[in-house]
Amino acid sequence: MKETILELRNITKVYHNGVVANRDISISFEKGEIHSIVGENGAGKSTLMKIIYGIESPSEGEIIHKGEKVKFRGSMEAIHAGIGMVHQHFMLIPTMSVVENIIVGDEPSNIRGIVDYKEAVKRTRELSEHYHLDVDVLSKIEDLSAGEKQKVEILKTLYRNAEIIILDEPTSVLTPQETETLFEELFKLKEMGHTIIFISHKLNEVKRISDRITVIRSGECKGTFENDEVDLLQLAELIVGRKLLSSYSELKKDVDDKKEILRVEKLYLSNKEKNILENISFSIRSGEILGIAGVQGNGQSELVRAIAGIGPMSSGEISLSGQRIEKLSVKKRRELGLSYIPEDRLGVGVATTAPLCDNIISSYYDRADINGHFFMDRRKISETANNLISKFTIRTNSIYTAVGDLSGGNMQKVVVARESNTDPICMLAEQPTQGIDIGSSEYIRTQLIEMRNRGAAVLLISADLEEVLSLSDRVIVMYNGMISAHLSNLDKISTNDLGLYMLGIRKQTSDELKEALYE
Amino acid sequence: MAELMSMILTEDFLATIVRVGVPLMFASMSAYVAATSGLLNIAIEGIMLMSALMAVLGSYWTQSAVLGLLIAIASGILLALLLAFMTMRLGTDPFLVGIAINTFTSTFTIFLLYLFSGNKGISASLPSKVLPTINIGWLEKIPILGAVFSGQYLLTYVCFAFIIIVPLVIQKTKYGLRLKACGLNAQAASSVGINVNKMQVSAIVISGLLAALGGAYMTMGYLSAFSRNMIAGRGWIGFAAQAMGGSSFIGLSLTTLAFSFFQAIVAVLSRSDVSSDLLTTVPYFGVLFGVIAFSVVNYFKRRKLSV
Repeated sequence: MKETILELRNITKVYHNGVVANRDISISFEKGEIHSIVGENGAGKSTLMKIIYGIESPSEGEIIHKGEKVKFRGSMEAIHAGIGMVHQHFMLIPTMSVVENIIVGDEPSNIRGIVDYKEAVKRTRELSEHYHLDVDVLSKIEDLSAGEKQKVEILKTLYRNAEIIILDEPTSVLTPQETETLFEELFKLKEMGHTIIFISHKLNEVKRISDRITVIRSGECKGTFENDEVDLLQLAELIVGRKLLSSYSELKKDVDDKKEILRVEKLYLSNKEKNILENISFSIRSGEILGIAGVQGNGQSELVRAIAGIGPMSSGEISLSGQRIEKLSVKKRRELGLSYIPEDRLGVGVATTAPLCDNIISSYYDRADINGHFFMDRRKISETANNLISKFTIRTNSIYTAVGDLSGGNMQKVVVARESNTDPICMLAEQPTQGIDIGSSEYIRTQLIEMRNRGAAVLLISADLEEVLSLSDRVIVMYNGMISAHLSNLDKISTNDLGLYMLGIRKQTSDELKEALYE
Repeated sequence: MAELMSMILTEDFLATIVRVGVPLMFASMSAYVAATSGLLNIAIEGIMLMSALMAVLGSYWTQSAVLGLLIAIASGILLALLLAFMTMRLGTDPFLVGIAINTFTSTFTIFLLYLFSGNKGISASLPSKVLPTINIGWLEKIPILGAVFSGQYLLTYVCFAFIIIVPLVIQKTKYGLRLKACGLNAQAASSVGINVNKMQVSAIVISGLLAALGGAYMTMGYLSAFSRNMIAGRGWIGFAAQAMGGSSFIGLSLTTLAFSFFQAIVAVLSRSDVSSDLLTTVPYFGVLFGVIAFSVVNYFKRRKLSV
């Protein structure tokens, strides 16, 4: 029988404005387990964690910690009780050293408030060795990779003697390799008797590491399961509360009269030292989705930015419906029917502080029907916004809500709604479902397929291999700035095969690669 | 030119640098402590002006230099707390509050001056007290050092003390580390249980104290009376020095020293026949060119990094 370390009993949280964030939630956490909490954005996971961590207090219900009823007033008390939290956004100070970041707030000192840095370095080094969390404690945070920063965050909790460590969406900023390292570290922590509470909506990761999984939907607990009791699809359906598409291919319709829409030929981008993009050639026809797979940082992002016209290129040709566009401005390219869903949603995709109605027309604000003779036609703009909101089921208070206040999924729906509202003939979709909830992801994927069915050419860049394989008609793999494979018969391709090309272990011959470009 | 060199290359000139540099250094340190905690103290200029007047009025009322100094300090801290209250509690933009305090004090001090001395320009009619100068016997005999470090006003030594204490506290103590954490990432600081509000209030009190000392120095040492708008941008120079020094106390000190040098040149040349109107522009040109040089250097640094 395992030992229960923390138990939530009938937790209900009602905010002052009447919003019920958690309703009658009961979960028990065992010592030495990895326990995942999954649910959509806004399902109440974060509120629940804030309650455990003492930032919020529950309206009803109780928390039992090591057999005793506790009430944390503030995170300090939770920290003292041995609960640590790694926030989704790093709580680190970039210009300070690792040691300083770890000790601040709880510094070892000898005389009268003078910090004993020698002792601090010694202790953090010991900690880092003991838990195999390898990081140079003297370097500055700003010089570390995201994976190393995460280690520092975990060390911070361990330095404060955390037995229970809450990780809130810890992999959202990590590369696949860093994620794998993190998982190894978490397994080690678990073996040493620590309890890990893992908050995520990436279900394959949850399945990979959890002992048990608790599903939360609309503030209610939908059950705690042993990992092997549920499969991915069941889990996803529990989370969204309805049946999900098991395959996207049945949505695809054949498109007649396929013409070549986007053509990229011999595209190069180089800096002084090397080629960032080398001899990229491919084309996409109408009614076709071309997926680009690859480990992030192998040139995909530079490629799509060059096509969209917001990034540089050194040489090569890009054509849209037979017209050369590589020298045209972004605006001209868009007028010719190019649309772009950028990866950097907050920085490029939307203006976070501007209202939804402005964001949803920002790429075609000067179109005659919404831009009157002198003033903008506000009535037409609200009409457009309201139409798109209902068509794309965007959850928002009003069309005047700042886009930054929406959830990630709804924000992305605003981008997709805007980009598809111009009836593009070519859509560049860069990580279109990254970091957003299952329901919105499914919706956005269906939209991409619908665009394809209407005869558009879609370029899909995604780090999610399942997504690439399930949506695309053909796939190219990028490695080290080059195309390493072109795959047109996707039924026979597994993610493992893709992996070999992505890591550069296998590479197709130039004859095979020629097929990426239609003659 | 040779004449100028002969004026500069004297012990006297070094002493002048110290004499004109003290209020600048107080202002710089005031900005530094506030900035370290993550606040911008834009009201330094106004706080200095108010304290300069309060030092005169306080010592006139109490007929005690020490009590006058305390009253000046209290008024400085009060103004700083007002700034903190408006920005942290009521959420007003710090620039707005800073500008309000600065414009308010520049006229309110004249009002008070007129009210108590009957003169709108200078407080000469009020018999106020000044703080003593201090001679250090053994130091006086050492050339250069003696001229620079002995025979200065009391508040100059207080300034020296702070030049040592402030960086020590920021770099070495728990309090300093936590204060830096608040300034660099308030969320991160509060996530480890640091009370950011409390830390920032403490910093603004210290910032107010330092600015007040700079103000009091102007009327209780540098001069012995208050004249309208006598701070004349010294608070802003300190603010600029802090911004240019960044988080480095040495950088801040060197920048302040450079500004003091320009001020000292003015002080020396004002005894010659160079037009005084032209002369008074020198320190401000110094600041302007300093900031330009700083921006250019930073621009190239950034460009080098990004390539």
